[in-house]
Amino acid sequence: MNVQQSPLWTTQTSGARLTGTWRSALPDYRFTPSPCLAACPVNGRIAEWIGKIGKEDIRGAWETLIDNNPFPAIAGRICHHPCQSACNRQYHDETVSICALERYVGDAALAEGWRFDKPAKERGERIAIIGGGPAGLSAAYQLRRRGFQVTLFDAKPKLGGLLRYGIPDYRLDKNIVDGEIERIVDLGVEVRLKAEIADAAALKKLRDAYDAVYLATGASSSKKLPGLDYGAPWVVDSADFLAAANAGNPVATGERLVVIGGGSAAMDVARTARRLGKRVTVLSLEPEDKLPAQRVEVDEAIEEDVVFVCGAMMRAVRPAAGGLALDCVRVEFTPGKKRGEFAITPLENATFTLEADAIIPSIGQNADIERWRGLLGVAGPVIGTDGVWRTSVAGIFAGGDVASMDRFVTQAVGMGKEAAVEIARFVMGETAGSGFDVGPTLSFLEINTHYYPKAARNSPATVAVGERLKGFGEVQERLATAAALAEARRCFSCGNCIFCDNCFFYCPDMAITKLEGGYEVKSDYCKGCGLCVEECPTGSVRMREDTQG
Amino acid sequence: MELISYQDEGQFVSGHVACGGCAEALAMRVILNTVGSDAIGVVSPSCSAVICGGYPMSAVKIPMFHTTLESAAASASGVKRALVAQNKPDTTVLCFAGDGGTYDIGLQALSSAAERNEDILYICFDNEGYMNTGGQKSSSTPLDAITGSTPSGKTTRKKNLIEILAAHRIPYIATASPSHINDMRAKIEKAKAIRGTKVIIVLIPCLPGWGVADNAAVRTARKAVEAGVFPLLEIEDGVNYRLNVSEKGDSIESYLKEQKRYRHLDAEHIARLQAESDFQWRRLQQRVADSPERRS
Amino acid sequence: MDMRANARGVLLSGNQAVAYGVLLARPDVIPVYPITPQTPILEQIIELHSEGRMKAELLTPESEHSAMSACIPASLTGARVFTATSSQGLLLMHELLHYASGARASIVMCNVNRTPASPWGFWPDQLDSLAQRDTGWIQVYSESPQESLDGVIQLFRVAETANIPAMICHDAFYVSHAVEPVEIPSQLTVDEFLPPFKPDIRLDTSLGRSFGAPADQRNWNNTRRDLDAAMATVPDLVSEAGRLWGDLTGRHYAPLEEYRMDGADVVIVTMGSMCGTVREAVDAMREAGVKAGMLKVRLFRPLPMAALRQALEGVPCAIVLDRNYSPGTGGILHQELKSVLFNMRNAPRLHGLMAGVGGVNVSPAKIGELVAQYQDKEPQVGAIWVD
Repeated sequence: MNVQQSPLWTTQTSGARLTGTWRSALPDYRFTPSPCLAACPVNGRIAEWIGKIGKEDIRGAWETLIDNNPFPAIAGRICHHPCQSACNRQYHDETVSICALERYVGDAALAEGWRFDKPAKERGERIAIIGGGPAGLSAAYQLRRRGFQVTLFDAKPKLGGLLRYGIPDYRLDKNIVDGEIERIVDLGVEVRLKAEIADAAALKKLRDAYDAVYLATGASSSKKLPGLDYGAPWVVDSADFLAAANAGNPVATGERLVVIGGGSAAMDVARTARRLGKRVTVLSLEPEDKLPAQRVEVDEAIEEDVVFVCGAMMRAVRPAAGGLALDCVRVEFTPGKKRGEFAITPLENATFTLEADAIIPSIGQNADIERWRGLLGVAGPVIGTDGVWRTSVAGIFAGGDVASMDRFVTQAVGMGKEAAVEIARFVMGETAGSGFDVGPTLSFLEINTHYYPKAARNSPATVAVGERLKGFGEVQERLATAAALAEARRCFSCGNCIFCDNCFFYCPDMAITKLEGGYEVKSDYCKGCGLCVEECPTGSVRMREDTQG
Repeated sequence: MELISYQDEGQFVSGHVACGGCAEALAMRVILNTVGSDAIGVVSPSCSAVICGGYPMSAVKIPMFHTTLESAAASASGVKRALVAQNKPDTTVLCFAGDGGTYDIGLQALSSAAERNEDILYICFDNEGYMNTGGQKSSSTPLDAITGSTPSGKTTRKKNLIEILAAHRIPYIATASPSHINDMRAKIEKAKAIRGTKVIIVLIPCLPGWGVADNAAVRTARKAVEAGVFPLLEIEDGVNYRLNVSEKGDSIESYLKEQKRYRHLDAEHIARLQAESDFQWRRLQQRVADSPERRS
Repeated sequence: MDMRANARGVLLSGNQAVAYGVLLARPDVIPVYPITPQTPILEQIIELHSEGRMKAELLTPESEHSAMSACIPASLTGARVFTATSSQGLLLMHELLHYASGARASIVMCNVNRTPASPWGFWPDQLDSLAQRDTGWIQVYSESPQESLDGVIQLFRVAETANIPAMICHDAFYVSHAVEPVEIPSQLTVDEFLPPFKPDIRLDTSLGRSFGAPADQRNWNNTRRDLDAAMATVPDLVSEAGRLWGDLTGRHYAPLEEYRMDGADVVIVTMGSMCGTVREAVDAMREAGVKAGMLKVRLFRPLPMAALRQALEGVPCAIVLDRNYSPGTGGILHQELKSVLFNMRNAPRLHGLMAGVGGVNVSPAKIGELVAQYQDKEPQVGAIWVD
């Protein structure tokens, strides 16, 4: 006779108790654009590809990169990288070296010979692209990927535009340009070189022959400095100067050069001249801290003994013993509301003289919009377009320097991509998009910085000044692999889930399930505490109001 | 970023009744899954008992024996001896107790078990007071903290149980924090492999008891560790001290600010607490330096 | 096989006899804490253990409280568990005595009955264990070393069948330290009598079931109903164990023991060592022509109510001798008897006398005098001190 034991031994797990009824909020997994993505002219998924670098998946990183930009090796060298200025990590320690990482991946792709996949499906629509610079190539690439038939017209003997003719080798080796362009052409782009579309009539004809036209002829004529005699032998056009130097046949000038201007092109001219053995002074209206050129370009120019005379203007040039005398005056520079707008006030008591043998004005480029007059509407100095790059003529789209005062290379690449999206919509008879705003980005406050111990930034090394001035070899070096991996792992991955499983492990209620490539909240059990949100390093989970009966 | 790594074997089950955001439930999850299925638990009345229990359901897969408040270590000894008698000496006997059941009423039984070097793994969930009964002070409540029974702030220090335990020369003593899950897991694994009495004190910021936001228990615990208020350490054989986080921040203020129980403090009080914390930290560093088997 | 052939007779104190009983029961875990006058039990167990004769896990914690705290889950883990204590130690265990019965832990404990402080005293008095009568433990009172030895073994069988903890109580010194010839049964005998302890539900990793989790009112209530049902089986279990044990050893036991009650005009009801004295007094009275008898209450919890009524029905007078005092009422056995006999037809006149409280000596002659004094009196309300 065995009497029963206590009946109060547990008989089941607590799984039958649905604690989800307690909550008032539920976590939501959400991709939020990182500030770098929003700042990036091509809206590259930067956090995503950097994350892949961190996992040593360089091929994967490249594949993500080329979704938005077929030129990672080029952009990784010359991009003005607004991503880095937007990077949330700067509020923690230092911004991530995004640009150097992009180059790291881009160079790997070239070295490994990675090619773009041919379009999955060919389409019949034909698109003409006028201009083989960054905008046109970018558009050609994006349209080909989507299977459209692309014909690319360029007036020059080789593709590349500014990439080839405007940027010196020490910043962008032409083998890189060749490599990245060749990959695009290899996708099946029909290229017509030395094929200038001369005027509005020719453009109209092209429009009639194709389903759509993309106009990306750039801005190739130099802006003129008022009052300067461009016919004088001692005035050298900056674009000609750079193109000649890039082609290996430098323009003959005297010893002492004054470059007028403070933008990237002025830096390119000045530093190219230094490599040709000239003594160079840069004269700019802007004070040094407001120079439109990238800071690194200014710094490297200073290292290379370019003399900067900033916050001043030239009033007159006169012959002087053994050369020229430039009469200059200091100015007060007041930036305007838009990029490129400003006001200046000469400070009358602050005059001085510069001596030179030649002057290279480098104050910017103008688009040749006269060519299309009568056909395309204009907006100030550029072809007029709406928010989705449509010109006044249906089926003609425009972008790059011909249609925008945003003159950085990667901005042109971005415009080419956006136009391609719109052109695709147009030729397929879809409604036009409403623009390219990515919406609110992830704030630094949503990053759990605990998971990111402070770590110094890994910046690419630069070649010693003495070496640099001996020729046109690249100044910046590629990040070493260890540095690239370390740098990639500094990325907060703002708003981009890194599948770290913190949400899974920090849930006291086992209410998160790991899925292939994501997570799911078990609403039966989630009490809505928000620990998963708090302990998410990247801000990829948020709480939303949710009350269960 | 260091990834958390342990296998959740489902040893702790959803549907338990811990407050949403409770770090104790979180720690139980880590501990139970690390200890695994070859274990029997003893739990004294505390939040962890409530979280485990509620007849007829159990939130834990291993068998748990709910004992009286003062008896965790003694009851665990009984289970262990029964297992040894049944030729199951490798089954882990795990103890869950609160700070009341450890620092106060259970200290006698714990001291005795430690003296006998009973082969048990004793976990003290230290939420620095009798939080399950609504928040009264225990001998683990720190100086100046407000509780239901210290409405103007406690006037005496937190009992230094770690040194009391060290004096027993048991093989393993450690502290752990729900903010440092890998560290906690490693300590459980280590303790599991050691025969004899192992005590791990886990800091549990109590959401209602400390006045901490629902999503902030882990953050608060992390700040306690980083500020040096709750150093993560291990002591082997009562004499070999090691600090697992060997640097601390300069200020405890950010830690204090997470909690309503310290909201009444003025600058002078905070300075006093800082000095106290700094003193304890230096003392600990000295212990590390004096350890016969110094480890990095 | 004649089991008794292997038995051997030795001189043992009551405490030593308990230790031998424990040895033969093959316990798995023994948490125990020393206290006078229980200590010789502990010492004897440790001696048997250190000689390698006893294999149990010995646990010597810092208090009786921890000893009992260890006993309960050890038992629930499926171990056969024994402990021993006395007086203050038992009182310190009080909380856990409830816990043990609530958990239905089949622990066997020997309590050496000793005066509770204050003031300090080390004398035979049953208040310590009688005060635990509501804790849900089976209580058996022994009057001799032999009975204590036999009782330990029988109680394991009862406790492990009913899943109720059991204590065997014997009086300080009069039993605990009195050395008498004791027959130690053979291991074979005990093994036949006492099967291994194998509870179906236990703390076991393969079962994953937990015990003691908070329960709601209904479930808590049910635990006491179940305990009550189990308690109700105990008198029969004790009877059965005593009969079986008698078949094996020649020494029969029952919940109650009647001594010379045939045609008795007066029956003395008592427990423990007092029984020996009373037996002597009864013999003397019978010789002197007084028709006296004795009813020994061996099983006090659960109180064998039906058996008591049956034994005392038609007896003209019963006198309870209590070696304990419950302030405000008097002798505890007396109170229990009154409630058992209440509303019974042919109930005896029932006197309750406090004899020997605090260990004061009560001689057989004194008992004869008390019978003469009270046999024909009408019962009084209130405590009567007679020594």
